[in-house]
Amino acid sequence: MDQNIYLIGLNHHTAGVDVRERYALTNVENFEKGLMKVPGVREVMALSTCNRVEVVVVGEVELKQDSIYQYWSGKCCGDASCLEENSYIYRGIDAVRHLFEVASSLDSMIIGEPQILGQLKKSYRNAVEEGSAGTIINRILHKAFFVAKRVRTETDIASSAVSISYAAVELAKKIFGDLKGHQAMLIGAGEMAELAVAHLKRYGVEKVLIANRTFASAQELAECMDGEAVPFEDLYMHVGDSDIIISSTGAPYAVIKAKEMKKVLRKRKNRPMFFIDIAVPRDIDPDVNSLDNVYLYDIDDLKDVVEENRAQRMDEAVKAKNIVHGEAEHFSGWLKSLDLQPTIVDLFSRADNVAHKELAKTVKRLGIKDEETLLALETLATSIGKKLLHEPVSFLKRRTEEEGAAERFVDLARRMFNLDNETIPTNAHCNRKKNCCRKDEG
Amino acid sequence: MALFEILQYVIIGLYLVGTGAFLAGSLVSRNSLIRVGNIFAVLGFIMHTVDLTVAVTLYHETVLDGGYFYYSILGWGLILVYFFFWWKFRNTFFALTASPLALLLFISSLAAQSLKVTLPKHLAGLFIGLHIGTIFVSIALMAMAAGAGAAFLYLNNKIKSKAAISGFGKDMPSLNSFDRINHWAIVVGFPLYTLGLAAGFLWARSVYKQMFSWDPKEIVTLVVWFLFAFLFHQRIALGWKGRKPAMLVIIVFVITMVSLWGINFFMNTHHSFKP
Repeated sequence: MDQNIYLIGLNHHTAGVDVRERYALTNVENFEKGLMKVPGVREVMALSTCNRVEVVVVGEVELKQDSIYQYWSGKCCGDASCLEENSYIYRGIDAVRHLFEVASSLDSMIIGEPQILGQLKKSYRNAVEEGSAGTIINRILHKAFFVAKRVRTETDIASSAVSISYAAVELAKKIFGDLKGHQAMLIGAGEMAELAVAHLKRYGVEKVLIANRTFASAQELAECMDGEAVPFEDLYMHVGDSDIIISSTGAPYAVIKAKEMKKVLRKRKNRPMFFIDIAVPRDIDPDVNSLDNVYLYDIDDLKDVVEENRAQRMDEAVKAKNIVHGEAEHFSGWLKSLDLQPTIVDLFSRADNVAHKELAKTVKRLGIKDEETLLALETLATSIGKKLLHEPVSFLKRRTEEEGAAERFVDLARRMFNLDNETIPTNAHCNRKKNCCRKDEG
Repeated sequence: MALFEILQYVIIGLYLVGTGAFLAGSLVSRNSLIRVGNIFAVLGFIMHTVDLTVAVTLYHETVLDGGYFYYSILGWGLILVYFFFWWKFRNTFFALTASPLALLLFISSLAAQSLKVTLPKHLAGLFIGLHIGTIFVSIALMAMAAGAGAAFLYLNNKIKSKAAISGFGKDMPSLNSFDRINHWAIVVGFPLYTLGLAAGFLWARSVYKQMFSWDPKEIVTLVVWFLFAFLFHQRIALGWKGRKPAMLVIIVFVITMVSLWGINFFMNTHHSFKP
């Protein structure tokens, strides 16, 4: 192959946020189109998120990487040497492997978070629209989406909550099951507590009460969260009506005491309650947790849950990496096959295979034993295969001599004859079919 | 080997594979294995029904005299109750209780095949319907409540102690659903148990001319009834929930199981299956 894959990028491991934002490409228009004009560049895709900026380039083997740094930093009004210092570069199969890891969220700040896949899809769509994605980038990205899907289904990488508010929701689900019909209460205010309430609502909690020492603030928050403000003086009464209580007041003493909770529990006939205490110093007497049917988690407990889940994700990441590496190896096989010669060999061996299989069936059916007839039939079968392939192979040889067309035609031939033995999903090309329909309708 | 015997081995095989699939499926969190378990449980149950029908039709004169029938129908009832829970609560977790217990009961029924119980013929129908039927269904419910109770205690302990909920615990239903099942099984099970017990005492009066004869089985059953009654009262009147009823129902169930295997096999009692 007379070309190589380059991946140049910076992420949260290699560059601080100030550097990342300087070289971010979110607001740079026509970045790909411009980069395509740099000598030696054939295909381009750029990915820019808050944690990473990466540029994938397929270019000639002799491509001068400095020119990419120059172009990139020029677009961002930055310094090329600073960009080079803070970035990493992968070539060939290493670049493919890295991209697979990014798609599978193995390189994310929080391993297993699914957002990156959406961002990658968006970047790819952008490259397709700009006309900078060719045979190789198309193939890498399709494969990357496939690998990401495999990782999600075959490992538990994203199965447990790794943020405080999600951990709270998961615990609530473990206690109550379905959260529909349950009532939550927010005591005090705070960003994390509000986030937790928002998550609870998303998972079905219907009513949210808000209590605050200043009733006006409670009302304000209630309006904003579509909840109901209640006076702080009737705290225990409303706590008794609620199933999930999130507390984050600035009080220097316990707002909810175990002794009082005993009475509340008797009143609500021991229906379970889940307290989430986000305040420091804590709002809820820790002894509350020792009461039956009451579960209390403070900020440290939730942090521990999150940490354990993170550790579990790291274990799963090892499994995921094995999948990614296997797929990258497989991909490297495909890259090598893009040269014309191996494809011709594969084509003839495919034809030979088919001919021999069919021949064996016919011989068995007709019960032919005569050596001479067998030899004649074999010659017939293989020569049909060869003759049939003669024209397509000459066509391929002609076209691959043209500038920049080699991969496209070789790849097309490989796909037409399914030389890589891939299973084609039943919904393949459904997007294109839909587009056709839309055009027809229009 | 008679056809009847082959059928019994087939039932044991089906229940065994089913139990294995349920256990493995729960341990490695694979739904496909649970589905296999359910298929085997259904097949086992069908075969078991055939076996019981054949036994009653062929040996209707003597079937009620053998310990075989009682263990077998208890196991059968347990699977039936499991199917009911499966349908009502959409929860296959209780296969873990029902399936191994049904298997054990069925094997016990074969061990008790040569054992005899005394039964006055003219009361047999009423006796089966009221005493055996109600007691056995309530024991099956008790088993489910105890299974739910054990699961509740396990998960409750994990959440209370803030331990990581991983593997087996992750796929478990919520605490609330276990408690609901415990509640439901006690609320339905206790009246049935009471009815069965009353039928038993009335029957004892007509046969032995006295209601209570300090028979070990009778004593244990009464103890169970008092505990069961206490549990029923606390749940309904005082709103007991969660840990306490879970623990108590496990105790009640363990006593019942000890009574079922220990007393019936090894002690002198009206319910003896001793040869």
